[in-house]
Amino acid sequence: MINVEHLSKTYGTTAAIEDVTFSVEPGEILGFLGPNGAGKTTTMRILSGYLPATSGTAKVAGYEVHEDSMAVRQRIGYLPETPPLYTDMTVESFLHFVARIKGVSAGDRAQNVESALEKTSLVDRRKTLIRKLSKGYRQRVGIAQAIVHDPPVIILDEPTVGLDPRQIIEVRNLIKNLAGNHTVILSTHILPEVSMTCNRVAIINKGRVVATNTPQSLMAQLMGGSGYELEIEGDIDAVQPRLQIIQGVKAIDRLTAELPEGRHKLKVTAETGTELPGRELAAAIVEAGLGLFEMRRIQATLEDVFLQLTTEEAPLEADTESDESKEPIESGETTGEAG
Amino acid sequence: MRVILANIVAIYRRELQSYFASPLAYVVAGVFWLLSGLFFVFILNVTIQRVAYADAAGYQGAIDAPTQFLQSFLGILSSIALFILPILSMSLYAEERKRGTLELLATSPVTNWAVAIGKLLAVVTFFITLLLPMLVYELIVLTATNPPVNLAVILLGHLGLVLLAAAVLSLGMFVSSLTDSTILAAIFTFALVLFLWIIDGVGQEIGGWIGAVFGHLSLLKHYNNLAQGILDSSSLILFGSYIVLGIFLTAQSVNVFRFQRS
Repeated sequence: MINVEHLSKTYGTTAAIEDVTFSVEPGEILGFLGPNGAGKTTTMRILSGYLPATSGTAKVAGYEVHEDSMAVRQRIGYLPETPPLYTDMTVESFLHFVARIKGVSAGDRAQNVESALEKTSLVDRRKTLIRKLSKGYRQRVGIAQAIVHDPPVIILDEPTVGLDPRQIIEVRNLIKNLAGNHTVILSTHILPEVSMTCNRVAIINKGRVVATNTPQSLMAQLMGGSGYELEIEGDIDAVQPRLQIIQGVKAIDRLTAELPEGRHKLKVTAETGTELPGRELAAAIVEAGLGLFEMRRIQATLEDVFLQLTTEEAPLEADTESDESKEPIESGETTGEAG
Repeated sequence: MRVILANIVAIYRRELQSYFASPLAYVVAGVFWLLSGLFFVFILNVTIQRVAYADAAGYQGAIDAPTQFLQSFLGILSSIALFILPILSMSLYAEERKRGTLELLATSPVTNWAVAIGKLLAVVTFFITLLLPMLVYELIVLTATNPPVNLAVILLGHLGLVLLAAAVLSLGMFVSSLTDSTILAAIFTFALVLFLWIIDGVGQEIGGWIGAVFGHLSLLKHYNNLAQGILDSSSLILFGSYIVLGIFLTAQSVNVFRFQRS
C-alpha cells in the first residue's frame, strides 16, 4: 500500500532524512519510532504530499506522492503534528468542511461525519466551537478530520500527544480498530504505544531507518539482552564454568549489589535470538552445591532495542535523559558486548 | 471542473462563515459604516451649500450637483477602503499558516488556485456587504434629484470600487501568504497599495516612458475613470490583471514556501 524507496530530504546542507526505505502492507499498522528530530515528521509530510522529497520515491496505493499528488491526497487522511483546526467553527461544521474538500459526495457527507464523530467519541461535542475544546478533544477532532473521508491510508503524526491516560487508551483502541480496512502509519516517541498498537515498527534515528520488523522479533533479534539474573550463595568461581558451557550462554557477569555475606548476583546473558534453558541453569547451580536464592528472567524491552539502536555508545540500561548518569553506568555496566 | 468548482465553493463558504464568527470583521464593518455615514452627510451638506452659494451669487451656469456629490463620495469611500482592505486581507493566509490549517488544505485534493480564488471571492463578498448600505443611501438621495441621475453611472462607480477592492485584496492575499504574522501582512499590504495609489503622481514627476508606465499602473487613476462613469476597457483590464496576478502569486508562494519550512 505504501512503498518508500531511498527517500531523502535535505534543507540546505542539513539532511532531515537520508535514504529511507520501507513499505507498508494493506491493512497494516506501522509504527514510526524515533527520538525527537529524527525525521519522523519530515517523512510523514513527504508521504502526505505536503513536502517534496529531494530524491527517492514514495508511492501510496501505487501513486507517486509528488507526481500524482491529487490522486494520493484523495486516498490519505493526515493528522499533522499540530491538529489543523479552524477554531472558529463547530466540530460538526468543521468536519463537514473537511469532508467537502476531501471530495466526499454530498449524499455520503452526513453519514461520514456521523461515523467519524462516533469513532472519536465526539458526538456530544458536535455543536461546540473548537476554540472551546480542551487539548485532548482537539486532538480527537484532528483524528476525526483524518478519517472523515474514509481514506485507505491514514497518516497520524503523534496521535496521542496531549491526551490523558484514559483518552490515550481510547485513541489506541480506535487506531487498532482502523487496521484491516485502513493502512495506518503513526509516529510516536512513546515506546509502549508501538508494541500495543502496531503490527510493525520502523525505528528511525538521525534521518535513517535503522530497523524495521514486528515489535516482538525486533526485541528478539536485536537484543542480546535477554537472559537470567541469579542470586547465588557459595563458591561462585566453581559454578561459573558449568554455566558457561550451557547452550546459548553468551556472557556471565557479576553484578554489584548489597547482599548478605557469601551471596552473589550473576547475570547470564543469552546469545542473540536464543532462549536460555532455565532448568539447566538451575540444575547446574544446584549440582555444584550452591544455594539458589533468586532466579529472575530478564526480557529485552522495546526500550532496550530503541536505546541500542539510537544511542551511539549503546549502554543497555542507560538513561539517555541525563548525560551525567552515563559514565557510572558505563563503567559498571554489563552489556551484551562485555563478554 | 465540477470538482474544482465545488472546492472553490467549499473554501468560499468556510471563509465567509469565519467572517461572521470573527469580532474583527464586525469592528471593521462598524468603523467603515460609521466613517462613510459621517462623510456621506458631510459631503451632502457641502454640495448643497455650494449650490446654494452659487444661486445666491447669481451664478447662471449649470451645476451638476448630484454627479459632483457622487464623485466626491466615491472618492472618500475609496480612501477609507485603502485603510480597511489591508485589514480584511491580512489574515487570509497568515492565519492559516499560524494555525497549521494550511497543512490540511495542502494535503487535501484541492488546488492552490481553488483555495486562492475561493478566499478572494469570500473577502470581496464581505466588502460588497460593507458597500450595500452606502448604495441604499445614495439611491435614496440621488433618485430625489431632478433630473434623476442615471442609475448606470451609480452602478459603474460602485463596480469600479469593487474591482479596485478586489485588486487590492488579491495583492493583499499574496502578501498574507508570505508571512504568518497578520500585522506584518497588513503593514506591507498597506505600503504596497499606497505605492500603487500614488504611483501616478510619481510617474508625472519622473516623466518619459517610465512615467507613462507608472501612470498606467496607478490604481487611483483608473478608479477615478470608472467613478466618473467612463467605462474604459483598459481600466477593467488593469484591475483584472492585478486580481489575476495576486491569485497567481499566492498559488505559487503557497507552494514554494511550504517547501522551505522545516
